[in-house]
Amino acid sequence: MEKLMELLGEDGLNEFDQEQLQSLVGDNDSEDEGESEEDGEDGDESGSEGEDSDLGEVEKDGEDVDEDNGDGELSEGADVALDDLEDGFDDEDMIPKQKMEIDNKVALERIRETIQLDQSLPWTETLAVSYPQTIDVDVDDDLSRELAFYKQALHGANTARTLAAKYNFPFTRPSDYFAEMVKSDSHMERIRQRLLDESAGMKKSEEKRKEREGKKFGKQVQLEKLKEREKSKKDMDERLKNLKRKRKGALDNAEADGDAFDVAVEDAISDHPSKRGRGAGGKKISRDSRDQKFGFGGKGRRSKQNTKASTDSFESGSGRGGRGGMRGGRGGMRGGRGGGRGGGNHRPGKSKRMASRSKN
Amino acid sequence: MSSVLKAQKANASKLEAKGKGKRKAEDIDTDEDAEIVQPKKKRNKQRVLLLSSRGITHRMRHLMNDLEALLPHVKKDSKLDSKSQLSLLPELADLNNCNNTLYFEARRHEDLYLWAAKTPNGPSIKMHVQNVHTMDELKMTGNCLKGSRGILSFDKAFDDSEWGRLTKEIFTHIFGVPPLARKAKPFIDHVLTFSILDNKIWFRNFQIMEKDPLQPNGPPQTSLVEIGPRFVLTPIRIFEGAFNGATVYSNPEFVTPAAVRSLIRQEKGDKYRQRKEAQEESSKRKELRRRDEDVLAVSKVFA
Repeated sequence: MEKLMELLGEDGLNEFDQEQLQSLVGDNDSEDEGESEEDGEDGDESGSEGEDSDLGEVEKDGEDVDEDNGDGELSEGADVALDDLEDGFDDEDMIPKQKMEIDNKVALERIRETIQLDQSLPWTETLAVSYPQTIDVDVDDDLSRELAFYKQALHGANTARTLAAKYNFPFTRPSDYFAEMVKSDSHMERIRQRLLDESAGMKKSEEKRKEREGKKFGKQVQLEKLKEREKSKKDMDERLKNLKRKRKGALDNAEADGDAFDVAVEDAISDHPSKRGRGAGGKKISRDSRDQKFGFGGKGRRSKQNTKASTDSFESGSGRGGRGGMRGGRGGMRGGRGGGRGGGNHRPGKSKRMASRSKN
Repeated sequence: MSSVLKAQKANASKLEAKGKGKRKAEDIDTDEDAEIVQPKKKRNKQRVLLLSSRGITHRMRHLMNDLEALLPHVKKDSKLDSKSQLSLLPELADLNNCNNTLYFEARRHEDLYLWAAKTPNGPSIKMHVQNVHTMDELKMTGNCLKGSRGILSFDKAFDDSEWGRLTKEIFTHIFGVPPLARKAKPFIDHVLTFSILDNKIWFRNFQIMEKDPLQPNGPPQTSLVEIGPRFVLTPIRIFEGAFNGATVYSNPEFVTPAAVRSLIRQEKGDKYRQRKEAQEESSKRKELRRRDEDVLAVSKVFA
């Protein structure tokens, strides 16, 4: 073959052909290996040939033919080899092709007949059953393959049960029959433990997954809430703007119907304008009770500020002068912010606050 | 049921005709029973010699142990010292009163071959064992009585080809537990399945559960749980004799694992070689492209 390659090389084959040849050379090598194996077995064969000569002949014939083929391939001209190449040696699955196949059906049948168990033996002697279907699934598809095996086994179990009933043969183990098992108890315990662990792990991961999803969902809810708030704010603005536009004329002389404007504003702000409107028309609560109910917003910013009149009068807090006034003013401010709580400074010092917080 | 039990006992005692003193009393009455029922009963007598070559790995050894646990009619023997003298095996089987042999042959500490042979005068099948999962794996949750007789289930593909029929026959002898087996238990609780798929023989072992374990009082419903072991056998050759003789069948599709590995290595080597060649080529071309020193050379212009 190498000679052949050299010859061809001189002729200047293209790369593709050369590669094909290369692969062919590789194949021949492996073929040689195979044949050497067969040689070894031939040696064995010679030992048993005496007892079965016709078989040996068949055997020999097959091998002769095969060897002829091999020789032909080597000795024949380049054109033939090339033809071979083009015929389909570029496939990957050429390995089975070049192996010799022996399937001596006559001999197989004869051998089977010699070793066969007596046909009259009852089924209970062998317990063998046949599955009436071939397993015809994709080998690489683990799940369907195992399912097919399972089905076969199930069929076997069921037919065996009926057969056992027919032959009056004990099949099911009674529940009070105890004996050594194939797998020890400790091993079964390990299996059980593993199953438990597995299921626990599954449950755990499921829980985790749910939690994670919940979190995601919670985020969504919060986002929605924020959006809604935004929207309501916008809505409010819109309503106020509308009101302003409507009341443009009225704003000019605000003094004239201030009360009416306030009512309108409140109307606009509230979600149920009509209800509010009705309420406004009803009995009015007194100022005092209203203050009590809703809180008095404080005296206001300027309530402690000096007015023209107060600067002139010296009736209260006269001795302290400007400083006292200032302090009063600050108190007033705080009071205004604090709502109805009054101006008194009840806040304890920092250290006390910290202490109380730590207590809590 | 009791009569069958009795008959079994009788047969067992027949087998041990040489006799232990303890059994004698039983022998007397049960023998009579058996003879009345059936004067001469043909029996399926099988004993299997199980042994391996040297150099098996733990996994292979565990597989062997599993088979031994499952098949009560197996006699396990020590490892065979030499791989070349397989002709010793029939003698060994004869010494152990076995008429079948399962011989595990390990090569290179990674490939496992299984010989299944009828020993005095053949035939024998040589198979390559792959995808071994032993019973120790925790994924196989089934369990069965030690030594209970398993059902053998063969799929239809065994009957379609001549070699399949022969294989089925041999497997029936080897994997089927004869009722006489000394350690055999009288009930059936597992099923061994042999299926041909992709020209390989797939072996599985299932426990037969007749009742749903979740509702023990419910209606009986057969379900299966895998016990293990599982493995795949690729038939290589069938020889006429026991560990010798003419080849009567050879699998054309079988590729030796060594060949597969070498192919893989070759591919890897090819890749490396191609890369190296490409590198060399590119460096050569670079060399070719280089311009020789002249007035406009970089070193002169930017001196």
